[in-house]
Amino acid sequence: MNRIAATGIIAVSQLALVTVGVAPQLSARVTGETYLVRVAPVDPIDPFRGAYVALDYPDLRHGGSQSFVEPGHGSLEDGEPGDVYITLVEEDGVWIGEEWSRTRPDDGPYLACDDRSWQVRCGIESWFLPQDDAQDAEQLLRDGAVAELRVDDRGNAAVVDVRAP
Amino acid sequence: MTDTSSPAPSLTTRPVSPHQLAWLRTELADWTAHGIIDDEQAARIATRYRSEHHSRISTGRVLLALGAGFVGVGLIWLVAANLDALSPLTRFAVIAALWLAFLVGGEVLASRKASRPVVGAARLLAAMGVGAVIFQAAQSLQVPAYEPRLLGLWAAGALLHGYLTRSGMPFFVGLLAGVVWWIWQPMWDEPHSLTVVLVIGAGSVLAASLAVLHDEGLATYAWAWRTAAGGMALVAMFAAAIPGIGSDGIVWTTWLVVEMVVAGAAALAAVLTRRDRRALEPLGATAVLVVATTIGLWTTGTDTTSVDAADWGHAAISVAAYVVLAVGLVALGTVRDHQALTWMAMAGLVVFTTFQSFAVFAPIVTGAWLFVVLGTVFLGTGFLFDRARRELAQALDTDSPAGTEGAAR
Repeated sequence: MNRIAATGIIAVSQLALVTVGVAPQLSARVTGETYLVRVAPVDPIDPFRGAYVALDYPDLRHGGSQSFVEPGHGSLEDGEPGDVYITLVEEDGVWIGEEWSRTRPDDGPYLACDDRSWQVRCGIESWFLPQDDAQDAEQLLRDGAVAELRVDDRGNAAVVDVRAP
Repeated sequence: MTDTSSPAPSLTTRPVSPHQLAWLRTELADWTAHGIIDDEQAARIATRYRSEHHSRISTGRVLLALGAGFVGVGLIWLVAANLDALSPLTRFAVIAALWLAFLVGGEVLASRKASRPVVGAARLLAAMGVGAVIFQAAQSLQVPAYEPRLLGLWAAGALLHGYLTRSGMPFFVGLLAGVVWWIWQPMWDEPHSLTVVLVIGAGSVLAASLAVLHDEGLATYAWAWRTAAGGMALVAMFAAAIPGIGSDGIVWTTWLVVEMVVAGAAALAAVLTRRDRRALEPLGATAVLVVATTIGLWTTGTDTTSVDAADWGHAAISVAAYVVLAVGLVALGTVRDHQALTWMAMAGLVVFTTFQSFAVFAPIVTGAWLFVVLGTVFLGTGFLFDRARRELAQALDTDSPAGTEGAAR
């Protein structure tokens, strides 16, 4: 095979694989609908990723447990780690978790999550901020803020903004 | 028989190491002196080989590979961790630019006939770069980076690079990432202990089949697949012999079934297309999978304070199966002139014998006597193994016609 053609095929194919890897989050951002969820801070900076604000969601937490080290949504504690689906309902202008299930709901809105690590995670647990804005954001989160989520019809979710309610 | 007096067709010369060429010339001189071949034939044989004036693993190559590896890891770390002033999109763009520069640069160097180690270093950076691009994209978009899916995509990208450019570095990166993904993905769904035996055993079947299929034309890749197959067979048999590993039985998941089907299809393809002694490799790996699964499912109890006849039987059959596997790998290593297999088999046997001795004897024999018993078991196994290896090597040497190894090497 011609070397230029081979290099082109490699580059295009590898970029396609990158797209496959982030397809759920891309789908959420491109095709998802907007939901506002109450949010609280956990840790302002992730040392391995720079100025990522770790987010905690009091209304999406299962069992009322707290998160001290790492953000998450509690755990189901049924001894069967795997996929978790959180059904969302609207209450006073924000969305809260209503039901936690191992089976995908028939209709939305819901979040598609996972608790194969030690707690439930939905891919919305951190949010990037430039270093200079991190302190302002921390103050905003202490005063009470909402996260603007995009959620597609398969439950894939992405954080697109964090702001005052 | 070939008529050696007829004009020889034009033949391409084969590169061999200076050491091999020196040996061949010595042998040719000896054969000529004894009248086995004449001077003209000796000269014609000698012209078929040329010396490749560098060793397979030179200091320069090692340093280039190490340097490329360090630079790759350092760049990923630098961009991902320290440049926190960059937005996620900018970080992704920087990483993607580096990957593309390494990819294109490696191929430009290759087209200009640059030194092979230098080209290999650039391609290694490109193969690591595509992993960096995947993980940076995932991080920028909050995709969980601890899922095996991303590793599988990296393996696919690196293997594609390796196969399309016929280059070793991206292939080895892809092979390594692919082996880890192959084991991790089914475990991600259902982390059951016997699943480990099944997926590693199936991985051995797949790798052995691919080794046989690569023998003609892609000898380096065949070597790598064969090494992976041998290693996974040893690990699968080792894991299967751990007492109580299969107490939960087999838990079938989608990924486990998919891997079994893929391994089976590869073995079928290898057996159907290589209808000679080479078909024994995928068949042997399949036998390892079946025996390992059977041993794993044979649960004799987990009470470590008492050792009954069933425990002794389990240990004896496990050791026998492991010794048969080790001898088989040594035989394969001898036939294929694949020393890594021989060393892996011997190292595996040492570790396995030690582990089994402690697992079986430790509850009833303690202290100094444990070492005496272990040493005795070790000496006995080593003596039998070494004797079997020598006899096998001798039998294969006398039995093996010149063409047995053929293009496989």
